[in-house]
Amino acid sequence: MRAKRSFWMVAAVSACLGSAFCLAPTGPARADKVAEQLAVMKTFDELFMEQVKIGDSLFHGDAAMEKKMNVVLSTTGMACAMCHPFAADTHPAQYPKWQEQMSKFAALRDMINWCIEKPNQGELIDPDGPAMKALEAYITWSNQNSPLAAGTH
Amino acid sequence: MSIDHHHDEHGDKLLESEDFQKARKEMRQTLWRPGVRADQNVGISRRVLINRAVLGGAAAAASLWLPRINTMDMAYAQEGGGVETFRFAWISDTHLYPKEVNTRFVEKAVRAVNDVKAMDPPPDFLIFGGDLAQLGDPVELKLGNEIIQELQIKKYFIPGEHDWYLDMGKTWTELYGASPWTFDHKGVRFIGIDTVSRAQDYWTAKNMSPQERMAHMSGLDGAVAGAWSGLGQEQLDYLDKTLSDWGTDKPVVIFTHNPLYEYYPPWNFWVRDWREVHEIVKPYTKITNIHGHTHQVLYNEIGAMRSIGMLATSWPWPYAPEGVPDLTVPMARTNPGDPFDGVGWGKLGFNAETQKVDHEWMMWREEVLATIPQKSGTSDNPTTFLRPRPDGR
Repeated sequence: MRAKRSFWMVAAVSACLGSAFCLAPTGPARADKVAEQLAVMKTFDELFMEQVKIGDSLFHGDAAMEKKMNVVLSTTGMACAMCHPFAADTHPAQYPKWQEQMSKFAALRDMINWCIEKPNQGELIDPDGPAMKALEAYITWSNQNSPLAAGTH
Repeated sequence: MSIDHHHDEHGDKLLESEDFQKARKEMRQTLWRPGVRADQNVGISRRVLINRAVLGGAAAAASLWLPRINTMDMAYAQEGGGVETFRFAWISDTHLYPKEVNTRFVEKAVRAVNDVKAMDPPPDFLIFGGDLAQLGDPVELKLGNEIIQELQIKKYFIPGEHDWYLDMGKTWTELYGASPWTFDHKGVRFIGIDTVSRAQDYWTAKNMSPQERMAHMSGLDGAVAGAWSGLGQEQLDYLDKTLSDWGTDKPVVIFTHNPLYEYYPPWNFWVRDWREVHEIVKPYTKITNIHGHTHQVLYNEIGAMRSIGMLATSWPWPYAPEGVPDLTVPMARTNPGDPFDGVGWGKLGFNAETQKVDHEWMMWREEVLATIPQKSGTSDNPTTFLRPRPDGR
């Protein structure tokens, strides 16, 4: 039942996205619906990957992207990727957890901001802003197949 | 467009249909691409190869990584075979920016130099293992040179990729001359090899500026610069020739920036022609490679060759998600809030009694090696699956 429900939820979302994804029902209904789902999911994927790439640029110290997003992630020449190649040791699957450095229960975005402020000596970014979401997109995508293990270290 | 929201018979049939299953499979392939554990298939067989090579000595090997502080002070005792006990020092991976950009890296390079100065008795020489600069800028290289020249002892240099790809080694070579080189010291043959300058040309076709070329080289996890690390035929021939008049039972130390085995190719934690290197050194029974680039405690043995990975002064790299040699006892997880944690320099020496290179990782914080798995920098490798950057960046 769960699989069916999610299928129909996706179908409902596709309807909301408007006519760009709608195909005229000229052939058998079954084939149309499958094609619609694929088109919608492909669009979702493209929208996601766009954020991943913005996040990758920010993570790797791309000055032009920082300027565009109006953030200062570092003033020491250090970029996130210099300690976290392939977003290693970022552990998105382990959050939320107790974060020793901050002495508080933290989400991934709290730790991202901590790294920006402390080792990188940059300026804290809006935790709900587009730069943070793009960084989270990149970090999560890079660790996509790591099993969830919230609270572990 | 109208969509049925109820679970009707048609919907159920659709979900079970071959068409849908096929589309779903395709969708999954698009959306849930497998995480890439780089070069996985080849990686496995190579690791088996390495494991087999060390299997015989595995039990004894457990103690080999330990820093042998107790033997370090046996300086200058003349032993048999014309080989003497002596000490030397290693500094590498200072990754200096201009002073005004990053003062911490400067501080740490200066601290390493002062530590070497304070060695008593003084080491016979210093080997600088590459990546003096961060972006190959002559300003960075000259700053590094000023810091290193504070040391009055004999100094030898091999380049890192960060020193090279802005002006293709021009400033570096003006300062330190060309590699490879060799010298004999107290019965040991030392060989310095350049593992960084022979990248495939990734810049000409794309019309890159020197700064763009350097930027691709300076990111550890970038794909554009490719498998840049290697000796090349010319240096393989040099190695072969340099060893040919040296007895196979006499000690040899090879200095390189990159490790001479395959640890993790996506970060160039290897040289691409490591098999050829091992063919050449195979007959030698007392051979040690000392390398930088990996910014972490590493130890390995391949056949008779021991391999010791040294610390950076600048920052520690995390252990790669796979390929960490079984013989490495990893260093403890570092605190990202402490710029002096997980970094340092190296005390090395040749011990005439054991006929081996002694090594000690001189970290500026007390906890160097992990005492329990949870504290190890490799403890979460089994549950971490990383993928390379998007779009082959």
